Amino acid sequence: MKEGYKMINNEISSDTVFENLDLKTNLNVKSTKCKTPHPFWVMVNKEITDHVRSWRFIILVSLIALTCLGSLYTAFENMGEAFKSTKSDDLFFFLKLFTVSDKTLPPFFIFISFLGPLLGISMGFDSINSEQNRGTLSRVLSQPIYRDYILNAKFTASMIVISVLFYALGFMVMGIGLIAIGIPPTVEEFLRIIFFIILSIFYVALWLNLSILFSVRIRQAATSALAGISVWLFFSIFYNMIVDLIAKGSAPSAFAPGHVVISFQKTMLNLMRISPAQLYSEATTTMLMPSVRSIGPLTMEQVSGAVPGPLPLGQSLLVVWPQVTGLIAVTILLFALAYMAFMRKEIRSR
Amino acid sequence: MTVRKKWLILLLSVFIGVTFLSRRVVSANTNVTLYTTFTKISVPPGESIDYPVDVINKSGEIQNVDLSVTGIPYKWEYSIKSGGWEISQISVLPGEKKSFTLKVEIPFKVNKGNYQFKLLAGDSVSLLLGVRVTEKGSSETSFSVDQPNMMGNSKSTFNYRAKLNNRTAEKQLYAITADYARGWNVSFKVSGKQVTSVELEPNSTKDVYIEVNPPSQVEAGTYQIPVHAVSNNTSASLNLEAVVSGSYDVELTTPTGLLSSKITAGDEKQIELQIKNTGTSPLKDVKITASAPANWSVEFDTKKIDEILAGEKTSVMATLKADKKAIPGDYIVSFNAQTPEASSKASFRVAVRTSMLWGWIGILIIAIALGSVFILFRKYGRR
Repeated sequence: MKEGYKMINNEISSDTVFENLDLKTNLNVKSTKCKTPHPFWVMVNKEITDHVRSWRFIILVSLIALTCLGSLYTAFENMGEAFKSTKSDDLFFFLKLFTVSDKTLPPFFIFISFLGPLLGISMGFDSINSEQNRGTLSRVLSQPIYRDYILNAKFTASMIVISVLFYALGFMVMGIGLIAIGIPPTVEEFLRIIFFIILSIFYVALWLNLSILFSVRIRQAATSALAGISVWLFFSIFYNMIVDLIAKGSAPSAFAPGHVVISFQKTMLNLMRISPAQLYSEATTTMLMPSVRSIGPLTMEQVSGAVPGPLPLGQSLLVVWPQVTGLIAVTILLFALAYMAFMRKEIRSR
Repeated sequence: MTVRKKWLILLLSVFIGVTFLSRRVVSANTNVTLYTTFTKISVPPGESIDYPVDVINKSGEIQNVDLSVTGIPYKWEYSIKSGGWEISQISVLPGEKKSFTLKVEIPFKVNKGNYQFKLLAGDSVSLLLGVRVTEKGSSETSFSVDQPNMMGNSKSTFNYRAKLNNRTAEKQLYAITADYARGWNVSFKVSGKQVTSVELEPNSTKDVYIEVNPPSQVEAGTYQIPVHAVSNNTSASLNLEAVVSGSYDVELTTPTGLLSSKITAGDEKQIELQIKNTGTSPLKDVKITASAPANWSVEFDTKKIDEILAGEKTSVMATLKADKKAIPGDYIVSFNAQTPEASSKASFRVAVRTSMLWGWIGILIIAIALGSVFILFRKYGRR
């Protein structure tokens, strides 16, 4: 097999599709012992280059960076308030950078929950169908590589770009925050921020996989983009309205006993949780606000005897573990669907 | 001759008789009387008695009366004074009286009993005076306290007021010491200042305030504290008595002193509690109670401890069971040890953790998803 790879490498390196490739800068040379990289990583590299150089990506990244700076600015403006308040959250001062806002601009994590899907959709909506339409797909596949390398490479490349972007944004916020407020984050705060970034990456990956799925299923890139955006719009705008409607219709009377009200509210919350945005916001809120002990309605019984105080990181993670599991599982599920659809696809026709 | 002789004899005998008579009058001084109001006095040793004595002249001429005291016991001092002078003879006009003072100083060293002595005016007129010494005066220094017994608890201060009296003839410097057990604190104060020695002029008295502080862990009981005042040639002591009543105090804690714990929601946790009797009396019927959040349960292996001796401690195992639906975070569970006399409360901060079960289930779900992707890879990818 390894001999075969070598041959493939040599052939691919001269291929016109990957003309911009610079072999020496490739980092991933694990899969083969010789210096030429594995063809999969060659493809990933090419995809990353394509992403980074595309106007679409640059526009979106600058949009996200700008909103990030904007929310950082409002956070600085309101840090004074955070200093004064005496809640238990104040132990986690650094996390305020991500959550504090005076409501003129939403805080950082809400921006991410809003713009992240757009980024994911924009990176994936034309990944397969544009290649197919241009006819490059069959040309690539004429090379002796596995078919799923194309989809996997596109997904991996997008994930790498998203990860780098989010880590860069997160560390930029931390760095600027460090300069501005001069208080270093504690280990726990740092870990919470890292988990927040990982969550954000998975959240964007979910939308990325959705749009890749659309790009596999739908031949027209514009239609695929619209489909992705409509799903995003549906969940971010219309879904809330629909749940509100259901809630109004099925709300128990004002004199209903407590457990009825609670079960109703739990049902509504579970309905809301179908939306990935809801899962993401619940998870990030708990990660960034250690004093959040529970999501959803609480009875007085549960609160009695409780001391308000921050949760340790592990407990915060356990609180939102269902949400995290849901996000990751849906991401993987969407990828599996896209993968299956792609593998079964007739790709030779243009 | 015989007549003359008779006359002579008569004259002579008359003369002799007259002279004899007159001589008797002068020598017997029957016209002089001594008078004082109190002829029998009871006094303690060391006291001095002033007798105001009147000399009354009943005769028609001036009487010079010699004054003296006889039969006075050994070492008793006396002096006769009048008009600022020490006198031994007094002259009284006819029909008048003069007064003088007889001062008798009774020494400290005197046996209890009745004593008598005579005040003599001239040879024949006397006034018998009686003195009853009420007690045996032996010491030359007296150290006494009016209320030697006091009661209080282990935290109170016992204040005694003692009197130190120097009955010697010299100035004395007394060192004041007390014998007390370790942990006690005894201090002496004279005119507000803490002292260890007191200087006393002869026959003077000073108040010595004695402050006694028992140790806080003292057992209930009666304690004797002998206090000594010692100078280089005399000494006196007194005995103080401090009755310490027991104090009741209980402390509820854990063997390590750690008042926080972790518990997984729905699980049980054993907490060892320690009940210490920090008072000085035994505690009886110590009840242990707990107050925990709703739907939590706390059980003790012994709900009631019959007795804890002073300074002793006992352990009680409490089994804490958290609510299944308890949300993660910190809760307050307070334990209470109660007797009618004292109580102690210990508040535990219990950190509730949710069970890892759902975490593992989540990981399992993710693993299943990843596994299915892997199966997809195997099924479609490599052909």
